[in-house]
Amino acid sequence: MKILLILGLLLCYSFVSSSGDTTIHTNNWAVLVCTSRFWFNYRHMANTLSLYRTVKRLGIPDERIILMLADDMACNARNEYPAQVFNNENHKLNLYGDNVEVDYRGYEVTVENFLRVLTGRHENAVPRSKRLLSDEGSHILLYMTGHGGDEFLKFQDAEELQSHDLADAVKQMKEKRRFKELMIMVDTCQAATLFNQLQSPGVLAIGSSLKGENSYSHHLDSDIGVSVVDRFTYYTLAFFERLNIYDNASLNSLFRSYDPRLLMSTAYYRTDLYQPHLVEVPVTNFFGSVMETIHTNSAYKAFSSKISNSKSNPEMPLNQLSEHDANIPNDELKNEKQKCPYSQMRADLHKKLEKLENVDTVVNLSIAVMVVVVMVSSSLLR
Amino acid sequence: MDNTDGRNLRSSESWNHAGRPFITTSVLFSFLLGVPFLWKSVEIYRSPLPFHDIDSLSDQIESTPLRFPCNFHAVFVGFRSTDPDNLRSQIQDGINQLTHQNSQCGSCNFSLSVTVQNRDDQCSETLAHSSTTCSYRCGVIKRNVFGVGVDDTVDESLNDVFSGCSEESGKMYSVVVVNKENANGEDEVKAVVGKGRHAWIVGNGLEERYGDMVARVSEIFVKVFMNGGREEDSIQGEFMPVGSDGRIVLSFSLLNSNPRDWVYDWDFQRIDEALLAPVTKALAPIANISVESQVLYHTPKSSFSSWDKKLQSYIFRTSALPFFVNSNEWHLDTSAGASGRSKILQFVVYIPSGKECPLLLQLPNGEISKTNGFISPIWGGVIVWNPGNCDKDSESSSRNTISPQDLEQIVEIFLGQFRQLFGFKSEAFYTSGLGTYKILPSDRGFTEWELDVLSTKHTCFNLHSCSTTLGSLSRLVRSLPRMIIKDEIGEQVKYSLKAAKLAQSNASLGEYSSSASSSREARSLAENAFFHPSIMSVSYFSYEHCFAVYSPFFLPVAGHVVLAALREWKRYKQEKAKYLTWLTRKKTA
Repeated sequence: MKILLILGLLLCYSFVSSSGDTTIHTNNWAVLVCTSRFWFNYRHMANTLSLYRTVKRLGIPDERIILMLADDMACNARNEYPAQVFNNENHKLNLYGDNVEVDYRGYEVTVENFLRVLTGRHENAVPRSKRLLSDEGSHILLYMTGHGGDEFLKFQDAEELQSHDLADAVKQMKEKRRFKELMIMVDTCQAATLFNQLQSPGVLAIGSSLKGENSYSHHLDSDIGVSVVDRFTYYTLAFFERLNIYDNASLNSLFRSYDPRLLMSTAYYRTDLYQPHLVEVPVTNFFGSVMETIHTNSAYKAFSSKISNSKSNPEMPLNQLSEHDANIPNDELKNEKQKCPYSQMRADLHKKLEKLENVDTVVNLSIAVMVVVVMVSSSLLR
Repeated sequence: MDNTDGRNLRSSESWNHAGRPFITTSVLFSFLLGVPFLWKSVEIYRSPLPFHDIDSLSDQIESTPLRFPCNFHAVFVGFRSTDPDNLRSQIQDGINQLTHQNSQCGSCNFSLSVTVQNRDDQCSETLAHSSTTCSYRCGVIKRNVFGVGVDDTVDESLNDVFSGCSEESGKMYSVVVVNKENANGEDEVKAVVGKGRHAWIVGNGLEERYGDMVARVSEIFVKVFMNGGREEDSIQGEFMPVGSDGRIVLSFSLLNSNPRDWVYDWDFQRIDEALLAPVTKALAPIANISVESQVLYHTPKSSFSSWDKKLQSYIFRTSALPFFVNSNEWHLDTSAGASGRSKILQFVVYIPSGKECPLLLQLPNGEISKTNGFISPIWGGVIVWNPGNCDKDSESSSRNTISPQDLEQIVEIFLGQFRQLFGFKSEAFYTSGLGTYKILPSDRGFTEWELDVLSTKHTCFNLHSCSTTLGSLSRLVRSLPRMIIKDEIGEQVKYSLKAAKLAQSNASLGEYSSSASSSREARSLAENAFFHPSIMSVSYFSYEHCFAVYSPFFLPVAGHVVLAALREWKRYKQEKAKYLTWLTRKKTA
């Protein structure tokens, strides 16, 4: 009977310890990547900046956003509206207004840097603002836009990110527990092929088009001269503009809002690696801010006893403590040095030297003594 | 005579056996000689990693959880007719029941001994100790000390009694149960846990209820001394704020929400030297803590508060807490001293503006919070501090300094929050079904037994993390056979394994703090090895790629040479056959 009980307890224990996903969702991160350069890819920059604005509005702070823009549209020589980037031809919203913090700009946006951000393998000198400092309770939103194709994404018109590279990086992230849940959103042509090779659990992925389909831009701004936003991102933003930080619309409603006729492509999403039901997951799990808070019930009254003892002089505790602590280092020092006679000698010598008022005369005297000694010894040796 | 095949062959007499074949084979051989050199030049340097040791470490950590030796000692003072061995077996049963006999990592491998001291100060002991320098001298604990003095004095005297113990294998935890026979017959039982490794229970008529006492003693041993007063046994990840390089940066910020109303400053230097230095020193084996501070201005909060007429103040509720931190305007993460892998804990003291003063936090049950503060695990804590009088007209934006008493109160709340971030409770009570235990607060932020619990739990966590990291690294390295592994990585793995072994051996000897620091080092070295910037799979090509790179250089020429050799060999065979037939003909003729 006892054996059965113990066996049952052991089973329960092993069950609890094996179901490792008992971590709490503590924070949200966003990695927003625009991979194209050149003026005619203005819309990719506008896509990324629109998502950046949305994610910030819903509460994710700059310190938890990694924004990678491969080129500079706001200060481009061809930009009629300097320092302004729009995603709509009505120009109502300036995406490059205030408080835009770009972490990787221009030629720093490479496949290698992107994979370094994901896996966390930076050189030592890379500052904290350029690192993805997520932990095992983080939900990460990864948004990529640019030109893509069958199982690849083009970076800077010079290199490619392959789907197996991405899958490999995600696998390493999962092994090192750098995320609790990851949502990948890709807006390129044949986007759904980019996450074909993913196998890590806890990953949700949505792409703007299937294999063989193109993703199209939404409209052309005749004033600026290029298309200013892509369809998939445009309808995503239309969904989010109706939300604020207190809303709890579900991911399912976001995914159902994509109409293939309006997008002119099929927005395909992959949920086989993602356990929770999409109806129950609010979009703020990825797009908004979450802070788990615990109230502090009481103060830790470590010093109140000292205060009650010396009520007359309220400054005493801090003063007392500072004097007390000032005395302690010296005592420790003395105790240590008494153990070693050599250092005791050196300490005495040091103290004597410090007491001397005119150090220069001592130095000069000693140099003279040295010269005399050298002369005497060399004459003796001859 | 032999021109029948139409080729321009020499006459068989003057056939040189060795000429042409020799030349072609020599060329072929010189090519073949160069192959080892080519192989050597495309060989990549891989520092040999001790895969076997890594696998054995992870197997070891999975299979045999780390247990620390500890000694439990219970002293019953003023009990007449109790047998220590009986008590000992009862307490042992109680402990086993509470721990469910599961040996998790960090649990105590305990040895229990009981001493009973009767009214005439005579003692009878159990013979559980093997060799002790810690035997309790009979009669040292007097019954009249208890209940009369303040808890602190009792604590000090007990500290003197039990601190003479030198730890030979693990620390000694003691519980003293004092049975007072007072005439006024109060029925109250007081249980206090001291700052050192001892606790005491004082009451009247305890001898009749000694079953209850035994249960409470077991509870103190298990719930308080082994688990640190928390419900869960092991540490969840969100209460492990130590960065992977073993460092924590405490970043203190004083936020003046609207400097036009009032501006406050603080003397942080004094707090740091006087009040925070002991805490930092006490936690040195667990984490290398550094402290920074800053004062910020124009930092409004982003959640809303409402005016409450009854309380004459502005109220914000716990439902608004997740939105309190306004990360757009609060530029907290400006640490210059934190490296990429340290953990930064933000401690924010928020001074509300004149429009929202005083600002109080209302709990879900309607009460007003005593501390006006909250934490977010892994992130840090926020305290809302209201200036003395919220009358902003008299201030007229003068510069004020927070007074030392207020600063001490703020630091006390901060210490409570700091303890919460490590998984402990901020209040100094532990309540269970059997009663309440008062816990004496220590000015180091954590009492000694809490530091022991922290050391053991962190050792477990660090060793587990180290072994999984090394396991991931070895799998990764084995899956990319053409990736260069630098010497640095090999050395870090080696030292990490050494530190892990040292931590395990220290743990078995009962050295809590040194095992915690070795395990911290092991984890940090393992993380350094895993996150070494040279391990980027995109830079290293597979064997097929290597072949594709080198074949345009060597294949065409090699093809020609080999074909020529083959042709020469065929020709040699033909010539030889002809020569032999010529020879036989010559012989027969």
